[in-house]
Amino acid sequence: MEAVLKNVSVTVELLAVAARSNAVSQWDEQTLSRAFHWAKYCEHIYSRFHNNTAIRRVMEQQLQITNQSLRHVFPGYSHVSFSDLRRCQHVLLVGLLNNPELPITIMKTLFKTPVNIINNDFEDVTGICSHLIRCKSACKVLRPLSALSAVGADAEVQGEMLMERLGAMLSQGNELCRVEHFLCSVLQDSEGAVQHMCLVIAAALLTAKGSAEQTASQDFLLEWLQSRHNLLHNLCTMLPSAILKELAKGHQKFRDSFCHMLKKWATEMEYSITEGEWINNSTNTTVTFQKLTEFFLLLFEACPSVRRNTEEEMRLFKISDGDFDVQGLSVWGDLLSELNK
Amino acid sequence: MELLFFLQGFRCIFQMTELQPLSQLQETDELSLNVQEMQFWLDKAVAWGQADSPDTRKDTCRHLSRLRNFLQQILTQINNTSSTAEIMKKFPLLGQFLGRLCWNPYVTVGETSRQLLFQCILGLYTEHPSNAVEKKANQWIQKVLCQLATEDDVAVQALTKHMGVPAKEYHVKVLQKMVMWLKENVENNHSSQSEVNQSILSGSEVFVPLATFPEASPVIGALLQQPMTSISDSLNEDFFDALSSSQSRYGLQLEKQALVSLWCHSLPSLEEAVLSLLKSVTCSGSAAPQNLEHQVTKSFLPEACAQHCSIFLVVSDIFRSVLKQNETSQPVRSVVQTVTRCVLRELSLLQPQTSLKDFFPQSPSSLLVPLLTMPSEMPQEALNNHLKWLSSSLQRLAEDGDEGCSTRGRHHLFEAWFLLVQCAHWVQMAVQLLVTSKPEDRDPLLWLLTFYHHPTNKWHQRALQLVRVREAWDHLHTLFSASVFPVPAAHLQPLITLLSVKPQQPSPAPSLTLDLLVHFAVFCRLKLNVSASILQTVVDLSGLRDGAACVLSSLHLRVQEGSCFKSGDVHLRIRELQKTITQMN
Repeated sequence: MEAVLKNVSVTVELLAVAARSNAVSQWDEQTLSRAFHWAKYCEHIYSRFHNNTAIRRVMEQQLQITNQSLRHVFPGYSHVSFSDLRRCQHVLLVGLLNNPELPITIMKTLFKTPVNIINNDFEDVTGICSHLIRCKSACKVLRPLSALSAVGADAEVQGEMLMERLGAMLSQGNELCRVEHFLCSVLQDSEGAVQHMCLVIAAALLTAKGSAEQTASQDFLLEWLQSRHNLLHNLCTMLPSAILKELAKGHQKFRDSFCHMLKKWATEMEYSITEGEWINNSTNTTVTFQKLTEFFLLLFEACPSVRRNTEEEMRLFKISDGDFDVQGLSVWGDLLSELNK
Repeated sequence: MELLFFLQGFRCIFQMTELQPLSQLQETDELSLNVQEMQFWLDKAVAWGQADSPDTRKDTCRHLSRLRNFLQQILTQINNTSSTAEIMKKFPLLGQFLGRLCWNPYVTVGETSRQLLFQCILGLYTEHPSNAVEKKANQWIQKVLCQLATEDDVAVQALTKHMGVPAKEYHVKVLQKMVMWLKENVENNHSSQSEVNQSILSGSEVFVPLATFPEASPVIGALLQQPMTSISDSLNEDFFDALSSSQSRYGLQLEKQALVSLWCHSLPSLEEAVLSLLKSVTCSGSAAPQNLEHQVTKSFLPEACAQHCSIFLVVSDIFRSVLKQNETSQPVRSVVQTVTRCVLRELSLLQPQTSLKDFFPQSPSSLLVPLLTMPSEMPQEALNNHLKWLSSSLQRLAEDGDEGCSTRGRHHLFEAWFLLVQCAHWVQMAVQLLVTSKPEDRDPLLWLLTFYHHPTNKWHQRALQLVRVREAWDHLHTLFSASVFPVPAAHLQPLITLLSVKPQQPSPAPSLTLDLLVHFAVFCRLKLNVSASILQTVVDLSGLRDGAACVLSSLHLRVQEGSCFKSGDVHLRIRELQKTITQMN
């Protein structure tokens, strides 16, 4: 085990050298190939031990020590985490490409057309960039054609990845706060893409329920969502209605949260006499009365049994509002008449 | 060799249309015109980059082939210029142009265009920069390439980082997902009116650069299998051309039905398939008959021909052209015969039965059914008369064709011969029957063989050739009915002489004589060891061991298939003779 730890530590140092040291200017193809070989070794170590909590802890400690010493050597050094080991070759590649000392010969090797187009599994370093760009370009080319799919291939793959990771973390007996922390940091790092993250979460919740592990992950995600009002709010306002409907159909917890949110929006409405309609006074939502009605209808369509209870509740609210059949006095009364038109 | 050369020439005709460079303009004043061209292409690149609309996508894909030629010109120019500073001075827009192309996925998705683009960019790198321009260029090159390889949007970066997924794995998964989604949509929405299908079909140009993508083949296959009318309207010619060339260059794998569909739409790809079959057979030298049948079936051509008469007609036309140039090539004739046999077999499995006349519209109708009939479908005692009748019918056509010198007569004769090549089982039957024929019965059969091997009667030598074949038959007949053993070497000599190739002197094809020899050895009434010793001596002295082995194995195959009548212990005799021959040194 000690030898393994040492190898991992040395490889992490290698990653730092590749990204930051001018020693790279002396690299040749053989050095390059050896570096990728060590990166692959770390990927192997990851896949071998990521399920083993004890070893994982030891490795994380080792990584921490190595990271710390590297931070002293290279200012601005970004640390390598245990999960980075899974994509060690990629980390190495990104580091090299960003190193201004990278020799042109190596650049040429990386950007050549690979000999074997399909199964270039970094077996041969030649052309790995070319291959990566090839795949990315193909996705870009096909994206407009598949734009009509519900969540989109990107969000679907990301949703699957999310489920896989959650499943792994939960089954390894991680403390729940750790898993929550993971979700929060993903969310934080993708702040600029709120709408897209909504799609990813929806896709994760819509992945076919197969194993118990998957159900557990989805439950965990739904549970977590209930405490994230902003995110839930974004989900309800930003997702296409077809996806919202699917979510409401498939998950009771989501249905409850959604219904709760709709009722909250309704209570926030005030009737504007000048405009002759219900207006949402809250600063954090732009949901109109008409949109609110649509949401309720969507929820009822997804789950007809919700309709009776909700309408009953609305009637009670209407009664407490004075039970007048005049427009503009009770939002519940107006919603009821709108929903039953 | 000659045949290979011809095949290459044949293919060139279809590739010429691909190359339409702007080179005519360029020759007069290379420099200034290049600058003009550069402006044209830069304007294009700017326009493509500004809006991602179906129109710009179409325009990009339509220009890709010309763009590749232009990139090739730039690359040559870069390689011929001594420094980056110099080339930047000549073409100040070059960097901007190449940079813009980097962000155009339609350019970077194609193997050739991406490779050319990177070569151009890396060609601008100066290892020891001596001025500011070159230093700046170096920095720019590294930055652009690094961004291109590593840049992803925020969400992708966040998710792949936190989940430890390599970028490549992620993009491959997305690609697979999109391809499967598109495939399912194309397959499930057979009405081309559906919104999704409309969008896919109208955007089919994007599959032009993707034709080199094995990963995209499921959706390409699904597109090809759409009802004919909707794809013919929507998929453009570029798409078929791209598919056809990527099939030969990048080994694009299509499912059987998609391949057949491609052949229906794209003549060049069908030609490519037929020529590559011919090439693989002619290149392998003495093609073993078992392999030949396997190769033919593996090409899916027989199935495609049976499903679509039009494919069979095109394939037959290609065979005609090749045979007109190479009438004596036995491998080509074997391919033609095997393909025809396999097509007929496929046809017999199809319901409802199609009219054979449609498949052989040019063949003489009187000969069609008699030749297409398999010998096994006939009583054994009728075979001789049937062959006699075939021979005399063909002789009549030959007289008209030879003497009349009319184009029509010659055409008829060629078609009759071509049908005989397609149905060469009758030629093989004639060889077998000749072993046991009486001298007075041999002439019609020998004429049939001579005609098969020498259809064009050049310099009116068919008569002479017939004399030689008769001579060969007489020798064989005497040898294999002799009673004195061992046969004196002197008796074998004339046969050996006939078997050797003499380019100066027209002689019956040695292969014909060899064919007769092997058949005599198998079907004669002599004891096996005697027969084997004659065969061994003759084959040994004339150095035709491989040829004899090949005849034996194809005969073996025919016996196994039941396409020639068996007499007694024919299996055993063939096996023993094969052993004798292969043991020789």
